[in-house]
Amino acid sequence: MAKRPAPFDELPKGYIIRFNVRERIEHLLVMILFVILLVTGLPQKFHTSGWGHWMIVHFGGIDRLRYVHRFCGVLFTGLFVFHVTTIFYLLRQRRIRPSMIPNLKDYNDAVLMLKYYLGWTDQRPSFDRFDYRQKFEYWGLLMGSLVMIITGWMLYQPMWTTRWLPGQVIPAAKVAHGMEALLALIVLVLWHMYCAHLNPEVFPFDTAIFTGKISIDRMVRDHPLEYARLLAERAAKVAAPEPVEIAAEEAAAGLRGRDTATDDTEAKPDG
Amino acid sequence: MTLGDGTVLELFVDEAQLAASVHAGKLGCTDCHWSISGYPHPPAEFPDRRSISLALYESCKRCHFLNYTRTLESVHFNMLARGHRDAPVCTDCHDAHAITDPYQPRAAISQRCARCHQSIHEAYVKSVHGQALVGEGNPDVPVCISCHRAHDIEDPRTASFKLRTPELCGHCHGDKNLMQKYGISTQVLRTYLSDFHGMTASLLGEKTDLVSIPAVCTDCHGVHDIRAVEDPASPVMRANLVKACRKCHPGASANFPAAWMSHYEPSPEKARLVYYLNQFYRFFIPFVGFGLLLQVLLSLWRLAVNR
Repeated sequence: MAKRPAPFDELPKGYIIRFNVRERIEHLLVMILFVILLVTGLPQKFHTSGWGHWMIVHFGGIDRLRYVHRFCGVLFTGLFVFHVTTIFYLLRQRRIRPSMIPNLKDYNDAVLMLKYYLGWTDQRPSFDRFDYRQKFEYWGLLMGSLVMIITGWMLYQPMWTTRWLPGQVIPAAKVAHGMEALLALIVLVLWHMYCAHLNPEVFPFDTAIFTGKISIDRMVRDHPLEYARLLAERAAKVAAPEPVEIAAEEAAAGLRGRDTATDDTEAKPDG
Repeated sequence: MTLGDGTVLELFVDEAQLAASVHAGKLGCTDCHWSISGYPHPPAEFPDRRSISLALYESCKRCHFLNYTRTLESVHFNMLARGHRDAPVCTDCHDAHAITDPYQPRAAISQRCARCHQSIHEAYVKSVHGQALVGEGNPDVPVCISCHRAHDIEDPRTASFKLRTPELCGHCHGDKNLMQKYGISTQVLRTYLSDFHGMTASLLGEKTDLVSIPAVCTDCHGVHDIRAVEDPASPVMRANLVKACRKCHPGASANFPAAWMSHYEPSPEKARLVYYLNQFYRFFIPFVGFGLLLQVLLSLWRLAVNR
């Protein structure tokens, strides 16, 4: 994780950094591997259907399809392990806030949001760095990945697996692997496509995870609590006699300084 | 008549044999021996007994043209064409003069093949199919030609033949009416095809080489020596199954065979874990799916109301 994000001067006015390089690359890799795994995996689940059979044949046969699927599965496992260990390390070092942990506020936010949707109230919940929908998707992905990785390795190495576990776990793993994939596909199509693409507030496509940038307008609307905290931290830093390279008026003018990233590294609570 | 190699060919033909044959009253001698049109017969010179059969069996095609052309596709004709003079021709299986209905009695079919394929026949008569045929004269069990066909007999050692094995066995074992008579499940083919081996076998192309074909029916159950699954000597008996697995998966643990659900569909009785896991997802996936869809629709509705 870069200690210091990209220089702010290169960003257009009114934007701050929301995701650092590691987070952007992780998202890109998950995206690519997820799609390849679905494309090579679903035809195996639905091999008796016309389209499944067509895809297997046009991919160059079942053996090649399985090879690519397993290869990407191994890469995906590596990415998962990298992500989890990095997060644990950074949390231990107190370099990031545990901003993804669900809490009571998320529950209240969800209830309030539902009331808002139903028209019972005109008050919308204000969110911190991640709202309850994003937390739901993150944990869904993390737990789903865990299921896919465990069952995937069982199916990849059934001989090894049955040295420790009863044989029935292999067909059980096959059911779980296929069904969990279907669930992932549904969440992707229904939820992620909606939240990150079709949602009128971000349509056609929420670029923050690719460019790392988010507009201050959106911060105020979608993550006001985080934005308020950042402003407070900025003010504290400016007030403190630290060798900070930004000018006070710059910070006051809407976080257009070099250190104004919302990157988690800057948000350590020990300030 | 003395042949080229010095053996003497007996020219006497038993008229009773001919009268009992299927050709009685339909064919005269010269219908087959068409080169003989008068008396004294034109001189005929043959180097040995086999040459006569090889020359005269061609007469059969004058009537049985379809079956004759089928034999041209067979592994037997292929051997003949490559110079194996002992490869069987029509008369080796059907006889020359004493030609009877080839299906009567049914056991006679496999005995005809046994003239050359003796060890296979010995294994077959001990199998569940062979015992039923020889012991009870069972009309349903397969005889040699049920799987190998009678005239266009394919080389069974090829990849394409092996790949068709599930289809061959499924021809009877997928037939509900037939299997009901013997209390045998017809799920066998479906459960095989939905598992790893069957799925792979059904997706491999004809160009696959033999060794990369996964297990088909005969790899576990045996080929000619197939036993009833209740038979303690059956290779797929639970006590023996791990041995069958180790043929391809050396070092398989005692738990490994249970990774294959023995042709059972998951149910609360068999493969309980698989069954309940499946049921869980069948409930959970629509639950999550509709839940998310509902929220998407609600948010869009509010958005529309706001405008």
